Amino acid sequence: MNQTRKILPVQLAIGLGVVAISTVLALGAYRFPEEMGFVILGAHVYPYALAVFLGVVGLLLCYQAVTGGFRELADHEDESAKALPGGKLGAAWVTAGLVGVAVLINLIGFVLAAGLLFVCSARGFGSRRPVRDLAIGIALTLPIYWLFNAGLGVSLPPLINAWI
Amino acid sequence: MDILSSLAIGFAAALTPINLMWGFIGCLLGTAIGVLPGIGPALTVALLLPITAKVDPTGALIMFAGIYYGAQFGGSTTSILLNTPGESSSMVTALEGNLMARNGRAGPALATAAIGSFVAGTIATVLLTLFAPIVATLALKFGPAEYFAILVLSFTTVSAVLGASMLRGFASLGIGLTIGLIGLDSTSGIARYTLGVPELVDGIEVVLVAVGLFAVGEALYSLLYQKEEASGRHRLTSLWMTRADWKRSIPAWLRGTLIGFPFGSIPAGGAEIPTFLSYSAERKLSKFPKEFAGSKGEGAIEGVAGPEAANNASATGSLVPLLTLGIPTSATAAILLAAFQNYNLQPGPMLFQTSGDLVWTLVASLYIGNVILLVLNLPLVGLWVKLLQIPRPYLNAGILVFATIGVYGMRHSSFDLLLMLAIGWGGVLMRRFDFPVAPVIVGMLLGPMAEKQLRNALSISEGDWMIFLTQPIAASFLALTLLVLIVPHLLHARGIKLHEDD
Repeated sequence: MNQTRKILPVQLAIGLGVVAISTVLALGAYRFPEEMGFVILGAHVYPYALAVFLGVVGLLLCYQAVTGGFRELADHEDESAKALPGGKLGAAWVTAGLVGVAVLINLIGFVLAAGLLFVCSARGFGSRRPVRDLAIGIALTLPIYWLFNAGLGVSLPPLINAWI
Repeated sequence: MDILSSLAIGFAAALTPINLMWGFIGCLLGTAIGVLPGIGPALTVALLLPITAKVDPTGALIMFAGIYYGAQFGGSTTSILLNTPGESSSMVTALEGNLMARNGRAGPALATAAIGSFVAGTIATVLLTLFAPIVATLALKFGPAEYFAILVLSFTTVSAVLGASMLRGFASLGIGLTIGLIGLDSTSGIARYTLGVPELVDGIEVVLVAVGLFAVGEALYSLLYQKEEASGRHRLTSLWMTRADWKRSIPAWLRGTLIGFPFGSIPAGGAEIPTFLSYSAERKLSKFPKEFAGSKGEGAIEGVAGPEAANNASATGSLVPLLTLGIPTSATAAILLAAFQNYNLQPGPMLFQTSGDLVWTLVASLYIGNVILLVLNLPLVGLWVKLLQIPRPYLNAGILVFATIGVYGMRHSSFDLLLMLAIGWGGVLMRRFDFPVAPVIVGMLLGPMAEKQLRNALSISEGDWMIFLTQPIAASFLALTLLVLIVPHLLHARGIKLHEDD
């Protein structure tokens, strides 16, 4: 644990984020439409209570962040622990793959989109053979596609869109 | 109908070929994901929830229970041979069992873990058979005030007892409760906190949050912060346990079971505490304290037998509050609750009356599942270890593809996929700063229930808040809540810590 009285920006941001959620809850509850008829406990009471709870928790987190950091963190979760070299790039590949699937799945069909995700994630985790990865990805996705569509009746978007 | 005849009917139903098949698939999948790093039972059941649309409730729930159980069995294999605990509850096994493996005793460690899990699982199922109906009968007397008080107690225990910091536990709980608020309010019909996004009116699915946190979050976290350990795998040795091994294991199994079951069945959250308790108990009671990891020994078999029994017994124990009160005490139990709800079944005291046959078939399947798992695990352990040869990129890419299918398959929404990714990054932050994840899942599932019970209780009392203090059962639950909040502080002030990991 860090004993110096240094402000830890990421931890402070987390605390402020919790306070922000609490504010959104309170503002939202304030703006709920009027309820009709006889109401003992309206739709806004519980959110207000939750807002107060989260507000207090958030402020306490902020307090800890500026007085030496969150308490009882395991060593490796200390602020000084940096991301692994290459970790950020890997995470970026995985993120890109997931965004890609979200954007493309309705355009290029399920199998190709999932195959693409497989390639990107494998790349993120250190694979350097995209063509082989794509083949494995599609070989994995096809049976799942049939299983879900035919076996479970969960309809997935077309295998490959017709216009391709 | 008495318990035995109900159970007999349950066995008859569970032993039909089709239900046996579901149980077998569940145990198989459970063991596999228990062995594999990066994928746990909560995630697996969440991804398989779509099958509730096609498979009948009995078959699906038998399979899910098999996964829950099997993961505990499989987890010990990885811990012992690779020193990579799949879940926090198998951390002690990793410590002591891996030490045994390093000293050429991998076989007996695996055997005592598997047989201990079997013994504990079976005894715990007997306890479940005996106690669940009693709890259900008691719970029939509960009204909204009592339910609200129990929910408050569960919220407190799940967030305050688990993890290093009560404050961070409460932050996780608050975020879970907030997620639970999003969508239509069932009492007033008002859409809350949808921020004008039409996709949010129906609320956020628990599957989406679970998959975001457990699959996407874990994958990103392991890329960013987890060093790939080049720990050599230990070779399997003969599984044969010597007479002395048996003599030392049997009492440890029994003690582990007795510690694990009650901790699983009260809403104290998870299998961590009982496994640590069992470990320190074994260390204190052992005639060979020098063999334990703490004394730089060669690994003591009690230190594997006790905790492994405790974590299995607590998994079974957690089915008591789930089935009788509808209250999950772990992330996996929370997803199981979602599975029940998909079938319009509400676990709780009424479940034993309205769907008695289903409950008893499920209980019978637990007995059978334990046998299947013992058979699957001990002789086939070499086969399971082969699973670890899947290269890391393919394993993780495969998990992510499954995650995407599970989330997208729910309602074909690209928005859901982006939300899953966002929650995944949130999960990275939580892991990084040691915020527990289970309170998020439990909070989002039980939050709406708590609000509804609160409103009902106040409607009955005509707005009088004193109802929570004048009703004896509700008042005692709230008093217990206070104790849960205060006792750790008192212990801490006196220099006692709940889990010593010296």
